[in-house]
Amino acid sequence: MDIAEVLKNTSPELFLPDLKATDKESALSELVAGLTAGMDIKNPDTILQMLQSRESLGSTAVGPGIAFPHGRTLAVQRLTILMARSTAGVDFDSEDGEPTHLFFVLIAPPQDLGHQYIKSLATLIDTVQEASLREKLMAADDYEAFCAALRGE
Amino acid sequence: MHPQLQLLVALQDMTGMIKEVEEKGSELEGMGFKTAGLDDLKRAREELEGQIEPQLMGAFQRLTAKFGRAVVPVVGNHCTGCFAQIPSSFVSKTNAGKLQRCESCGRILYWP
Repeated sequence: MDIAEVLKNTSPELFLPDLKATDKESALSELVAGLTAGMDIKNPDTILQMLQSRESLGSTAVGPGIAFPHGRTLAVQRLTILMARSTAGVDFDSEDGEPTHLFFVLIAPPQDLGHQYIKSLATLIDTVQEASLREKLMAADDYEAFCAALRGE
Repeated sequence: MHPQLQLLVALQDMTGMIKEVEEKGSELEGMGFKTAGLDDLKRAREELEGQIEPQLMGAFQRLTAKFGRAVVPVVGNHCTGCFAQIPSSFVSKTNAGKLQRCESCGRILYWP
């Protein structure tokens, strides 16, 4: 799966250019609020609870300054990706102890039998490995510029 | 949403997560994700089960054993478990907030 394919699951409404939260719990709430505002979700608490459960397995802040909160829930009907950025950084229990600045939230329905969200997750993780790209993402003016950077344009 | 339905959905999501880690844990760990909290998550699931009314929990377990998933979303007025049409009365004001089951297959219905 290439990054252009992955980006079909997001939209300008699912982009938060500067999170206000600085701690994990607040950041998760703000990310879920962003999902709720960006699409028709009636039960945001269900998503928040799922993401909190996922974080209890181990922090999803696995990249340098990047987190990938993810999971499956009945609350969505298709794979949905929210992208967010924090200039100040969030204490997201990262392995290296450094603040997290970039968030890619992947929420999939349970019936995602082809494991599209795991493939999308793998593609995103591979894509953001380069430090120069992460700098471009932090500097991107808007959603279009952010996506263009991810596509390597 | 009916509070017990909220718990059932959380329970089903959590069970799916545990199953995914057990089946695809090496793939997730290959991507850098740690899954050391699996036992904690299993304990959290047990605590969640304890909050669900025993009769409902029994139905949930029977439906899960039979169908794989006991709670299914209603999409376009259809049960996505058996595709039977859901009567419009199920979403009337009188029934809002009630825990509803598909008249055809018995699965517990969830409006996403």
